[in-house]
Amino acid sequence: MAIKFEQVSYEYIGVDGSSYKAINDINLDISDKHEFITLIGETGSGKSTLVQHMNALVKPSSGTVSIYGIKVYKDVRKKAKNVKLNPLREKVGLVFQFPEYQLFEETVLKDIIFGPRNFGVSLEEATKRAKDIINLVGLDESYLERSPFNLSGGEKKRVSIAGILAMEPDILVLDEPTSGLDPKGRDALLELFTSINKTLGKTVIIITHDMNTVYKYATRVLVMKKGSLVFDGDPIDLFTNQAIDQWNLDLPDLLEITRQLEAHLNVKFNKLPRSIDELFELVKGVL
Amino acid sequence: MKNIIIGQYVPGSSFLYKMDPRSKILALVLLMISTFILRDVLHIFIMLTLVLVILKVGGIPIGRIAKGLRPIMILVFFTFTFQVLFVKSGTILYDEVLNFTLYNLPIVIALVFIFFLTKRFMRYKILFFVSIVAAIILTSIYFTPGTLLFDANLQVYTDGVSGAFFIMIRLVIIVTLSTILTLTTKPTDLTLGLEQLLKPLSLIRINSEEIALIISIALRYIPTLLDEANKIMLAQTSRGVDFSEGKLKDKIMQVISLLVPMFIISFQRSDDLANAMEARNFIPGAKRTRLHVLSWQLTDTFVVLVSTLAVASSILVNLFL
Repeated sequence: MAIKFEQVSYEYIGVDGSSYKAINDINLDISDKHEFITLIGETGSGKSTLVQHMNALVKPSSGTVSIYGIKVYKDVRKKAKNVKLNPLREKVGLVFQFPEYQLFEETVLKDIIFGPRNFGVSLEEATKRAKDIINLVGLDESYLERSPFNLSGGEKKRVSIAGILAMEPDILVLDEPTSGLDPKGRDALLELFTSINKTLGKTVIIITHDMNTVYKYATRVLVMKKGSLVFDGDPIDLFTNQAIDQWNLDLPDLLEITRQLEAHLNVKFNKLPRSIDELFELVKGVL
Repeated sequence: MKNIIIGQYVPGSSFLYKMDPRSKILALVLLMISTFILRDVLHIFIMLTLVLVILKVGGIPIGRIAKGLRPIMILVFFTFTFQVLFVKSGTILYDEVLNFTLYNLPIVIALVFIFFLTKRFMRYKILFFVSIVAAIILTSIYFTPGTLLFDANLQVYTDGVSGAFFIMIRLVIIVTLSTILTLTTKPTDLTLGLEQLLKPLSLIRINSEEIALIISIALRYIPTLLDEANKIMLAQTSRGVDFSEGKLKDKIMQVISLLVPMFIISFQRSDDLANAMEARNFIPGAKRTRLHVLSWQLTDTFVVLVSTLAVASSILVNLFL
């Protein structure tokens, strides 16, 4: 297992000494091969705090996170001086919720190669990666020479995601990567993540509020509520067998339509459709 | 950053909280003036007693103030030591020759080494430091076998000791007084009070309302910007910036990767704020009413009177004693 959470809790300590448990007793195994995980839950349920543990940005208040064999726990820097956490961040790339704020270089190219250069990738190699990746995120090479501050919000977001992709992490973690993008751009990015997952065999972890994304792309879904991990499993299991109302979730559009059709046509489909075409075939089958 | 207590409001209910911010600011200024006027260690002790009485009556735990004093502890400590060691006037209190010989010098060096090796495990560093220094002094006085290598005079004079206490107490009083003010006054009240007190400056064309607005916006944005800085630090750490280690050249790049986004965010925020204020029809310099109106009570008059009395008496003490 690439990432292993063992009884991990994290508390934020206020100035007056009060504490707030952001995540509570999390046990989790994540492989670095072929997983497409979506992490869902209401706002404030600890999703962002959880993913920040995955590349040792925050250290647990109690429990241990093992990332590629390196154990991360409370005060790890003080207790184990020779442990280097920085290399972990090349293996687990984390894209923040508003990544556009991390842009700071004069040109888009310089900003994209900033991450790889920090991890010792040569200038030529990093530039080559940047040229490939800028196309992948839906921009073209003319953007490389522009200033990142004159781009639109969506373009900034793509550039900052490109900055993480250029590090070529084994596990890609994205905190709401598609918020603020138009539907077409959103789908294009999600397709990009799927192709990274499928063709390169890397694990992708996405925090999202969109159930359609969960149903369409995920091979595994994690549900958080009030800091605890309440569900870890298959999306179909989640939407068919679990009482999702208790976690303030709703059904993906496709399943909602299917359910309505079943009720109105008074039939029972023999399987759940994964796409609109499959649903069409099912409806054709019963009529 | 979590231990910064100067400038932080902590809710409470004593008379200090009920006072008008204007009277509190006035009293602070007056008491500070009298602290600076006083020149004698005995008088400054009386002043310290007054401050302690304020703390006691105001119901502020001394522990909180002590926490606030921690950042200036090193400064206090150094001024104290330098005063004690280097002021050579008044009558001599203590005179001893420190002998460093062939045999005790290694012990002294060993003690210094022990200090540097073990200090990170100690909870009370300053206490540990003092005891090590004391151990070094004792060794060099009483354990002196072997050939004398060199010696030094350790002389302490009365003026040194009193001066040291004087400066230390003065520092403590000033920090304590300002901590009391910020501890018991909400930032909004503080700026409102300041605005009212600066009103007379409009005679020389300084707009006190604008100054107060600037201060309150600045105070309001400290936590927000700290939060943003923290987020950007995490984001850049994800991109391989290691803020805790690295060479000087890398350090510069690290700071740039933090500062540039911070600048951009601050400008963006101020732009947003300006728009939001305009959307709510904010007009600079327009006459406006307040939700909370300051009210001057009898206590306020009393406190300001006492503070004025303190200034007057310290002037008198200085002139005639």
